[in-house]
Amino acid sequence: MRSRSKAQPVTTKKMLSTLQKNYRSVLVVLGFFVLWELIVRIAHVPEFVLPSPSSALGHLFIEQPDANYNWSVHISTTIYEFLLGFIVTAVLGVSLAILFVWNRHVKKIVMPLFTFVNSLPIIAIAPIILLWMGYGIRTNILIAFLVSFFPVVINTMAGLDAIEDDLLDLIRYLHASKFQIFVKIRIPNSLSYIFSGLKICSTMSIVGAIVGEFIASDRGLGYIIINSQYAMDTPPIFSSLIVISLAGVALYWLITLIERIAMPWAFKNQRN
Amino acid sequence: MGSVSFDVYPGEFVSIVGPSGCGKTTLLKIIAGLLPESEGDIIFDNEMFDPSREVGFVFQKALLLNWRKVLDNVLLPIEILKLDKKKYVQKAIDLLELVGLKGFENSYPNELSGGMQQRVSLARALIHDPKLILMDEPFGALDAITREKMNLELQRIWADSKKTILFITHEINEAVFLSDRVVVLSARPSRMVGAMDIEFERPRTLEVRTSPKFGEHAAEVYKMLEIT
Repeated sequence: MRSRSKAQPVTTKKMLSTLQKNYRSVLVVLGFFVLWELIVRIAHVPEFVLPSPSSALGHLFIEQPDANYNWSVHISTTIYEFLLGFIVTAVLGVSLAILFVWNRHVKKIVMPLFTFVNSLPIIAIAPIILLWMGYGIRTNILIAFLVSFFPVVINTMAGLDAIEDDLLDLIRYLHASKFQIFVKIRIPNSLSYIFSGLKICSTMSIVGAIVGEFIASDRGLGYIIINSQYAMDTPPIFSSLIVISLAGVALYWLITLIERIAMPWAFKNQRN
Repeated sequence: MGSVSFDVYPGEFVSIVGPSGCGKTTLLKIIAGLLPESEGDIIFDNEMFDPSREVGFVFQKALLLNWRKVLDNVLLPIEILKLDKKKYVQKAIDLLELVGLKGFENSYPNELSGGMQQRVSLARALIHDPKLILMDEPFGALDAITREKMNLELQRIWADSKKTILFITHEINEAVFLSDRVVVLSARPSRMVGAMDIEFERPRTLEVRTSPKFGEHAAEVYKMLEIT
């Protein structure tokens, strides 16, 4: 009981100090929206050119008679696609990197193919993938994966290889097995690399999901953007953009949070 | 590498001095079984030995694992050798006390200074109770003041733990100060050019370095290295 009453002010204090540290970035974002709102209102910019942020956001909450604007369906579809794309990429990307470093022959054989696939512009091959797989959530997840797996693989491999020779000597003379070297040294050592790969991957998987929806889909925020463009109905486009970037920020923030929990040593104050 | 042959007796502190490129590190790696010897043997207590059980290694860098707390870094060799970790926890705590790091068991390496990190790596080298400690320029990355402090500490730890130490350095004063015997290697051709017994009383204090006898020993090493 006592410890709880003690802990309370500390967390509040902590939250306040985080807010104090970050208040500038919050102010900048808020300032941006305020400026946008003011420009639209003062200059009487027509809504089909640039809607004000209040009208774009308001659009999300207006009851729409048209089923096309069922926001909850579109938002959840897109979030589902890029989240699943992201998770598949994270798991597969890290596993592939471990496989490549474990067996250099596999890497030599498969890596050129990966590089080849990665250098194809995804927007150009997405139509073919759609032709083969038909449109739908699975296809968009595949596209999200194809756009974002490379940085995860490359970063993880770099982390697995970033071991000092002397450190390897240190455990080799103890007759460490290859498995021990991976589990005790290489994989924990690559964690910070994996997380920076995942941060890049998180935004790219959103791009992938949206691209898939652009090309062919019947739901999702990419679908809304394309359809509203045909109808010259600008506010939903901006509503979608705001939601997409918020989702991207949220995923990025979630990865950073997991990183802090998974790597407590990296966030301790350094001496020297 | 040319021919090198010398004896190290149990409990002795022997230094190997030589310019860079003379093969000091190669020699240590051969002893640790990391490189094959092309000719000759490492004979230990009159028999061939298993370096993984009998050798503790300390490098110039502390090479601690950032993600492990100090205690778990010390226990790393126990895990690799698949020994019962529980039996060694108390020993690890005792060793940390021996190297002057009592109370730092739960710190992470990046919370420690360079000298403290090197102490952890010394405790790690001692954990599986090897008879021989190989040290490859362990204090080379430390500043001069910390280095002198560590020399005194190492002498104490060596006396307490009763280990045999084979110590590589290019600091002639450090070698003369610490050792019972100094082995001198030359570069190109890399070979052994001599060995010298040092007979100062133990424990030695830093004052010993100002004695004329110390100067004579150092001068002799310089002569063997042909730096005159």
